[in-house]
Amino acid sequence: MFVFRNYTVESLFGEDTAFSGYGDISLIPDKENQLVWFYQVPLNFDLQSQLKEIEITRSKLQFVVASLAPGQSLYVLSLENLFPLRYSDTDTSLQDAVSGFNRLAMDLAATNPAVRFLDFGEFLSKYPAEEWINWRFYFISQMILSPVVAAGFKDWFNQRIAQIRGARKKCLVLDLDNTLWGGVLGEDGVQGIKIGGDYPGNAFLYFQEALVTLSKMGVMLAVCSKNNEADVFEAWNKNPFIKLKSDHISAHRINWDNKADNVRSIAKELNIGLDSMVFVDDNPTERELIRQQLPMVAVPEFPKKPYGLMAFYAKLLDDYFRAYLLTDEDFKKNEQYKANARRNLSQQQFTNLTDFIRSLEIEIDIMCVDEFNLPRIAQMTQKTNQFNLTTRRYTEADINGLIGAGADVYCISVRDRFGDNGITGAMIVNREGSTAKIDTFLLSCRILGKNIESAFFYSIVNKLLEQGVKELQSCYIPTAKNAQVADFYERHGMTLLDEKNGEKYYGMILTKPTVIDDYYTITYK
Amino acid sequence: MDEKILEAMRKVFRSGDIDSTTSQANCETWDSLHHLNFIVELEEAFDMEFEPEEISEMKSFAAVKSIIKNKTK
Repeated sequence: MFVFRNYTVESLFGEDTAFSGYGDISLIPDKENQLVWFYQVPLNFDLQSQLKEIEITRSKLQFVVASLAPGQSLYVLSLENLFPLRYSDTDTSLQDAVSGFNRLAMDLAATNPAVRFLDFGEFLSKYPAEEWINWRFYFISQMILSPVVAAGFKDWFNQRIAQIRGARKKCLVLDLDNTLWGGVLGEDGVQGIKIGGDYPGNAFLYFQEALVTLSKMGVMLAVCSKNNEADVFEAWNKNPFIKLKSDHISAHRINWDNKADNVRSIAKELNIGLDSMVFVDDNPTERELIRQQLPMVAVPEFPKKPYGLMAFYAKLLDDYFRAYLLTDEDFKKNEQYKANARRNLSQQQFTNLTDFIRSLEIEIDIMCVDEFNLPRIAQMTQKTNQFNLTTRRYTEADINGLIGAGADVYCISVRDRFGDNGITGAMIVNREGSTAKIDTFLLSCRILGKNIESAFFYSIVNKLLEQGVKELQSCYIPTAKNAQVADFYERHGMTLLDEKNGEKYYGMILTKPTVIDDYYTITYK
Repeated sequence: MDEKILEAMRKVFRSGDIDSTTSQANCETWDSLHHLNFIVELEEAFDMEFEPEEISEMKSFAAVKSIIKNKTK
């Protein structure tokens, strides 16, 4: 990592970080892929020279952004005034210059996927303004942030970077009694549980409303509760204050079984990994059980009092569910999972898979990468585990780097009569003369089970053949989660050439196009 | 007191090779950046604040010890 800065900020970053000179942009290291922009409003008592310096900082940032090499990312932290002095209430020229700079940084981030904006002000607001600078340390070292503030910075920064790289949890598993409402349904009854009305019911109501919003942002909600299932459905149907109902819930296990088994089976039903789940329960014994039996599941402490639920929700969001960018697929995801449930019901009525697939009227659009689907493609490389042949994780900037180096990047958007799944598969192919090499091939687990992977694979292979490719190469890299595709290439006509450390390398000579089953409507866009 | 100082030194300078003869001159990781971290660590351990003049003098185990001793008097 390399940091562009105008003050002493060394203690805020890891030992292997390199730094620019103060205010210097003459050197942009070409070997570092991760660059950081971290400037503060100059500590200066002359307003005009402060404004001038901010103006210069704007051009410096624009210059660095324009000079980024393919594959480099620049994380821009917002410009903040650490020592705000106000001589009058009506002169806001400094604040305007600061927000103007931050607007510029956000605009750059919106138009260039290699640039990412981080709100440093949000971090600072956790500390009282008079603690931001410790003048004793500043005067002996130019260290701009006090040690107290610096101590919290690393965690915050790493968390934001992880978010930008797409490490967001997928599913929140919730208990019911004393978690989503006050009291115990089995004892207090449908009308007796505390939800809505006076405290503590209003605190639980707010928590439920917040969770409904979370589900609209693409987080799957699941319920895991020791209760009689019939009682819970009665409460969902009859208690008008319950906002979080079966509509918002992707899976539920309401029974008296061990919760670790229930969480495992929810993961299986939703086709997600345990490490993408968060478990919320007011009962410390249940939390401990999950921590011990399923250490990959995140288990936050639960607030001791219902009024603590709001701070708890804010922390859930910050620690697990905040995304840098929410895509259309996130907003639609929960609908898609519900459509999947309808598809599964429909599947049971057919005796063979072919009839079932034919009945779905599947339409596949194959698209080249563009500025609209690039964020989703990068997100899929970060999040897809099961149907992923090489599990190479890429940022948008990485993918742009590959395109710059001559790679073809494709994605598919899939619809059927039950709904639109959106962009749910991607392939990256490196080209060299008449040889093509598959770098990445993945499908979201939502669309598996319909042989869409074969249709996608052969469509691209046919297209390559059309473009004069004579030889195709590919490989499979095993992970803890992608065993289901270990023999994908064997099953699709490729020859295993070499195998080392479990990695399998394949080749195929392309001679004539493969006929694709006619029950898919495939369109190249 | 000695052990508390040595502990802070080990934590910040990340070296097992630290004793009462260690100073900025013979400890490779004791640069100006780590020096400040070390002061922060000491302030916390001894619950006191050092003046800038003191901080610039505290560049060996012996000097640190004598300044802390002076302040606790």
